[in-house]
Amino acid sequence: MPNHFLGVEGASVSFGKREAQVRALRDVSESFERGTLSLVMGPSGSGKTTLLSLLGCLLSPDEGTVFVDGVEVNGLSEAERTVVRQKKISFVFQAFRLFHSLSAIDNVALGFELRDAALPGRKEMARDLLVRFGLGDKLNQEPNELSPGEKQRVAIARALAGNPPILLADEPTASLDAQAGRNICQILRSQVDDDGRTVVVVSHDPRWREFADRTINLCDGQVEQEEKNL
Amino acid sequence: MKLAWQNIVHDRARFSVTVLGVSFAVFLMVFQGSLLVGFLRAASRLIDASDSDIWITARGVQAFEFGTPIESRVREMAAGVPGVLETSRVCMAFAVYRTPNGKQQVVALVGADRNVGKRFPVPDVPGSAEGMSPDAVLYDVSDRDLIQVTALPAQVEVNRHRASIEHQIEGYGAFLGVPFLFTSYRNATRYMGFGPEEAMYVLLRVDSGYSTSHVQQDLRQRLPEVDVLTRNEFARKSRTYWTIKTGAGGAILTAALLGFLIGLVVVSQTIFANTMENIEEYATLKALGASQAFVARIVLTQALICGAVGSILGLLAVVPSIGYAKSLIPWIYTPWWLLLVMVVPSLAMCALASIASVRSALTVEPGRVFRA
Repeated sequence: MPNHFLGVEGASVSFGKREAQVRALRDVSESFERGTLSLVMGPSGSGKTTLLSLLGCLLSPDEGTVFVDGVEVNGLSEAERTVVRQKKISFVFQAFRLFHSLSAIDNVALGFELRDAALPGRKEMARDLLVRFGLGDKLNQEPNELSPGEKQRVAIARALAGNPPILLADEPTASLDAQAGRNICQILRSQVDDDGRTVVVVSHDPRWREFADRTINLCDGQVEQEEKNL
Repeated sequence: MKLAWQNIVHDRARFSVTVLGVSFAVFLMVFQGSLLVGFLRAASRLIDASDSDIWITARGVQAFEFGTPIESRVREMAAGVPGVLETSRVCMAFAVYRTPNGKQQVVALVGADRNVGKRFPVPDVPGSAEGMSPDAVLYDVSDRDLIQVTALPAQVEVNRHRASIEHQIEGYGAFLGVPFLFTSYRNATRYMGFGPEEAMYVLLRVDSGYSTSHVQQDLRQRLPEVDVLTRNEFARKSRTYWTIKTGAGGAILTAALLGFLIGLVVVSQTIFANTMENIEEYATLKALGASQAFVARIVLTQALICGAVGSILGLLAVVPSIGYAKSLIPWIYTPWWLLLVMVVPSLAMCALASIASVRSALTVEPGRVFRA
């Protein structure tokens, strides 16, 4: 069995029981190399988010194996998988999922705290990240005072807090206008090019093809097509 | 833990409701606690005010207010027991009091020898107000409306005997709605119609060289027809009677418990609603790698912040309220430790109230973060 940096091997996942059972993934094997941006596309219900959940240790497959940072994570307990997420994986969501009562800087500082509660200077590092993403004048704004594009940039800053090697993004541009969406594409691409991170993006947005190293098309829980972009 | 604080501050309306719930519970618990402590204190107040070590009562007397006569020779026999330094007498009976304007009122008449103790409210005790006749009658200032005396001295009648009310005291007000009147033992027996061969309570002081319990045992052997109790034993017996056997204490305790339960329900409901409203944030936290302990700590911290703020507000409200209540319930009493002690159940109440919320936050599936 190959030892992937990030990937699944023969993974199958079903939801529901008996007649209501839906097979979200069927015997999927995919490997995501270190320092690449992979785009996962496909129609609704094709299994994109299920694949992302497997890679993010949020779900265990009914069959098959999941690798994160070269380690098989199937047999890990919930607490152990939490530690894997804490150390290795970060997420960017379509709905941003910022903490509504915290300011932008506190949201990012919380990202640092979750990865290392004893880390000193969390607030300063959060400020640096936000300044890097052009949000230096929005540090103390609460999420409801930010535009969708700004919210997503704060969410990405929070995801990058603690420097995780893997970034999983679920429809990160779906709620954004064209300009803000392109900006997010560039930011995530730079994470690969500048910092060597492994990024997996699930999206319906064709603009991502321009920024992805390869595209995986899923249909009915299976890999239908795989193409290299760059 | 900034998230915990910010979450509750962000939703001020819900925070206010939670804090109000805790405040109400703390207010009710402290108020009922003060009633209970005051009631217990009042139930044995006169026993505690004596300097005696041992009280001799008729067999089966449950409380100071319900004494029955014993033979006066008990006093002479007790005085002869080794270790008994001094004896004194106290009597108490309900009597009919006629106010200066002719209205009648039942009073609890208490008579005591002048050596009963400096704190015991009796005329002619060394150090008491000068110019008072040995047979003067005293009343508590909180019973002024019941006694209906406008100027002192006032000539009144007690059980159809002329009596002179000459002085008012504090701290011995009615706790059963019947005012106390205090006078000398000699005067009281005259009003009550006690014969010279009768007594009610014989009080003994034990010589410092003797053990009170040994003297008590000795007395019990020599005087099997009466009850021989230490002062603390009789005080406890009296308190037990009033609080448990009459059901009054049970009613007060029930109200305090209800305060706790109401607070528990209010706090539980609001904290649960707050948690459910933010359940997506807990899912996000878990997806981002927050441990179970971290998530539980946030919910618990929110509950404890509500508990602490609510307790402070409740205490700030209850102290002046009890001060005002003293004019209506003179025996209500709030010892300083009660204020501190009540913070513990209120915080425990908040912690208890957060259990359901902690459970919900811990069991939320982190995978739901991908649902838009």
